[in-house]
Amino acid sequence: MGAPRKNYAAPAGIGAAALGFAALPMFGAWPFAESFLYLLFFWIALATSWTVLSGYSGYVSFGHGAFYGVGVYATANLGAHVPVWLCLLAGGLLAACLGAAAGLVVFRVKRLRGELFALLTLALAIVLGTVILNTPIDGGPGISLMAVHLPRIYNNASSTVYLLGMLAAMASLAAAWAVQNSRLGRGLFAIADDEDAAEILGVPTLRFKIAALALSAFLAGAAGSVHALFVSYVTVGETFSITVPLFVLLMSVLGGARRWYGPAIGAVFVAGLTNLLVGGDWALAARALIGFTLIVATLYLPEGVAGLIEHKFRAREKPEPRRAPMPASANDNAPAPAPISGAPLLRIEDIRLAFRGVRALDGVTLDIREGEILGLVGPNGSGKSTLINVISGFYRPDAGSLVFAGEDASGDEGHRRARRGIARTFQIPRPFRRLTVLENVVVAGEFGARGLDHAAALACARELLEFVGLAERADALPAAINLHQRKFLELARALASGARLIMLDEVLAGLTPSEITTAIAMVRKIRATGAAILFVEHNMRAVLALADRLIVLNQGKIIAQGGPRAVISDPAVISAYLGDDDAQP
Amino acid sequence: MTISRAKIPQPSRREILALALAAGAAPAAFAQTSGAPVRVGGTLSLTGPLAATGAIHKIVGEIFIQQANKAGGMLGRPIEWVLLDDQSKPDLARTLYERLITVDKTDLIIGPYATANILSAMSVAQRYNKILVHSTFGIPKLAAYERHFPGWPLGPNPEVTVNAMAIDGILSAGKPVKTVTIVTSKFPSVNFLAAGAREEFKKRGIAEAAFIEFEFGARDFGPIAARVREANADLLYMGAIGLEANQLLEAMEKINYTPKNHLYLYPAPGPLSLSPLGKDALSLTIYEDLPPFNANPQAAEMAKLYREAGAKAGMPFVDPETQAGAGYASWQILTGAVNATKSLDDEALTAHLKKNGADTIVGKVRFDGPGNYGDDLMRLKQVQDGKWAVVWPKAVQTPGKTIVIK
Repeated sequence: MGAPRKNYAAPAGIGAAALGFAALPMFGAWPFAESFLYLLFFWIALATSWTVLSGYSGYVSFGHGAFYGVGVYATANLGAHVPVWLCLLAGGLLAACLGAAAGLVVFRVKRLRGELFALLTLALAIVLGTVILNTPIDGGPGISLMAVHLPRIYNNASSTVYLLGMLAAMASLAAAWAVQNSRLGRGLFAIADDEDAAEILGVPTLRFKIAALALSAFLAGAAGSVHALFVSYVTVGETFSITVPLFVLLMSVLGGARRWYGPAIGAVFVAGLTNLLVGGDWALAARALIGFTLIVATLYLPEGVAGLIEHKFRAREKPEPRRAPMPASANDNAPAPAPISGAPLLRIEDIRLAFRGVRALDGVTLDIREGEILGLVGPNGSGKSTLINVISGFYRPDAGSLVFAGEDASGDEGHRRARRGIARTFQIPRPFRRLTVLENVVVAGEFGARGLDHAAALACARELLEFVGLAERADALPAAINLHQRKFLELARALASGARLIMLDEVLAGLTPSEITTAIAMVRKIRATGAAILFVEHNMRAVLALADRLIVLNQGKIIAQGGPRAVISDPAVISAYLGDDDAQP
Repeated sequence: MTISRAKIPQPSRREILALALAAGAAPAAFAQTSGAPVRVGGTLSLTGPLAATGAIHKIVGEIFIQQANKAGGMLGRPIEWVLLDDQSKPDLARTLYERLITVDKTDLIIGPYATANILSAMSVAQRYNKILVHSTFGIPKLAAYERHFPGWPLGPNPEVTVNAMAIDGILSAGKPVKTVTIVTSKFPSVNFLAAGAREEFKKRGIAEAAFIEFEFGARDFGPIAARVREANADLLYMGAIGLEANQLLEAMEKINYTPKNHLYLYPAPGPLSLSPLGKDALSLTIYEDLPPFNANPQAAEMAKLYREAGAKAGMPFVDPETQAGAGYASWQILTGAVNATKSLDDEALTAHLKKNGADTIVGKVRFDGPGNYGDDLMRLKQVQDGKWAVVWPKAVQTPGKTIVIK
């Protein structure tokens, strides 16, 4: 995810390239050049369509042959009956519908990530190929498109196919650029790194994945529709060959799957070599060279050629001057400190959750009031983190209700709760590893309760990084900062979201005493912004220093609550921590 | 439908002599080539899934050019084959024919192998009005270009004529064949013929005991074998590509079933004839290195050179048959037309071929029927004593061999 710029050089370049390529036949270009360029355009369109889903969201699809195949057979079946442009539209739309329908099913199942998703999409292509082969859509003998009437642009049907291929490629590139630089793209990049964290920060992960899959399938379907015209005879064996998704994957990895132009680089390299070196032993040499290049790219260019280009380009840019750190109290974006009011911000009632018969939460009922710090303690395994997961929407309880700011939010998914103003940090920080520190915070600003536009989220993120002392590391990747800084990054994300309730899950764990002191001060500053805090912690010094009220959980039940000092001397609490014998007076 | 034997042309001595002269079988001393070569552009699937068959076409093309150049080439000029690898991809085949015509500017083009690639090349040829002679194009009704000329003479309706010929051959044995089980791959060119077979068997009153389709690339033939055994028909008719015939036979052997009679479309000829399970298996051919097909010096030399080249290339089966015959015939058709018209003009070549047809290693090929197809020259062959023998029609039977039907 690149830094946002109001820079339209890329779409302007795509537009100019489209005009230039469209004019090529006017200058008497060789028909072979058109045909050769068409093949490059075809692979650019297909590889770029793939990256809109797989490169951006990390959901690797082997099923692009299916979407491409839908487009191929849309033209093959409709081409003789309706105008060509309708075929292309139909091919794209049918593929998009298939993609969206598949996404609605598979994206709901959390375990269908990684290689399982890849295998599932591969199965989709196989099933679709089988259906087409065994129904009148094809039936076995293939379909000839000789009867399809093509408009003769430049008085030449071949140029028409070339132009359609070029348009498919340019449209795919434009779409990929637009997605990468949009809210959708930033959400997808977050999903690629940590889908659960993205959801909790407010990214509507299911909707975004389905949208990406549908768009990706649309582009692949449209490319397939054009390609059917190019080959003029389509068969199931050719169309649903495993070669299609493998080549697409190869091109994207080589070029750089997380950048809109990366797959195009890979497509030009791979398709260019394979389609130019076709005489004698050159074809084998080309394949060997491609294989060797792929090995080198995998080993040394994890972000592909596009990643290399971008790093070189960024290295030449002068770093932006840093603004002077701003005192927390002068932070304009933070709401003014609010006194603790009696009104409950969050009320959960009779929350129950069991995992395979083990009761993790057993009828938990509690309130958190506006502006207060509620301490939540308990022995290991008492249900503290589970409760945070339930409140943030990560777990759906078996029973119970959740009312936030006076509204029933029991049925909300994680991202909806984030939009309402519930944020959390993780016990072990879960930053988006391929996004910079700044970009991590921007995601929270855009998708959280504030719902800022990108520019505002960026400005907010910069201020919050000053607030938590990470301004100097804004452009670093999370792997380059230490644990203490990663914990503060999580705080910055929670603040950027504009949350009214921030749940801090053992934010002090693993810190040195001096870091703990800084962190306690930071929590106080956060409370000063007016946010309520649910403070889960083992460090009793910090709990006593910070909490207005304290709740103790044991075996999924609240065993004590009230003022911190009173609660820690409660015999039930002592018993829970130390055992019954030690709790006897 | 029964095919009249009179309609199946057989090479006469005169035709063989004409063929030899036209295509360069005359002694080299009589016809030296000189001048700039005539460049003939074409693609073959030298890599990719069709490469094994592409290699056959490459060998026969090189053999033909070697022979032809000794005998005067084209117009007294040597033939140069500008051969590109279409990597078994129809889209690349299309682009490469664009290149051959517009960039390499070859004098002529010659078609690739396989239906899809040929159709891709045909659309380019059509755009430039180039004559396109090609081999092994499996579905004649798809070819709508008036200047295409098939080196594989299937006739315009092979789904009717090929099956009719095969059934004629089977019934000629006088044994009762009352039922048939049809098993076919969904591979386009065999699926198309198998669909036609259903109709032909019905017309002859042969009942269909079972009709089973499977997808190209299937490996597990166990369930199909079980259904074939259960149907236990007098004849097993299988639309098979490559090793699928052997795979089904092996699956049937595992359940102790041997089909009474069995016919396979387009099997891998070597493995089927060499396997004990292939005993009496029937198949189709247009050319075998057997009399009368090889009864001329050019054909005999081609077979010898083919075996040598095949062995050198490490091919597992080096007997020339349908693919080699069709590939070689394609070159004969093109070269014969050029030398007869003394022209490289596509229009003149087209007119000549439509009017005169061509004498080839597979017989006299006509192009004056629908879609530039003429006679169906497919024949029935059978594995006998571990070798292929042509068993039908009688005029081309391998000497001493007759069809074996149980």
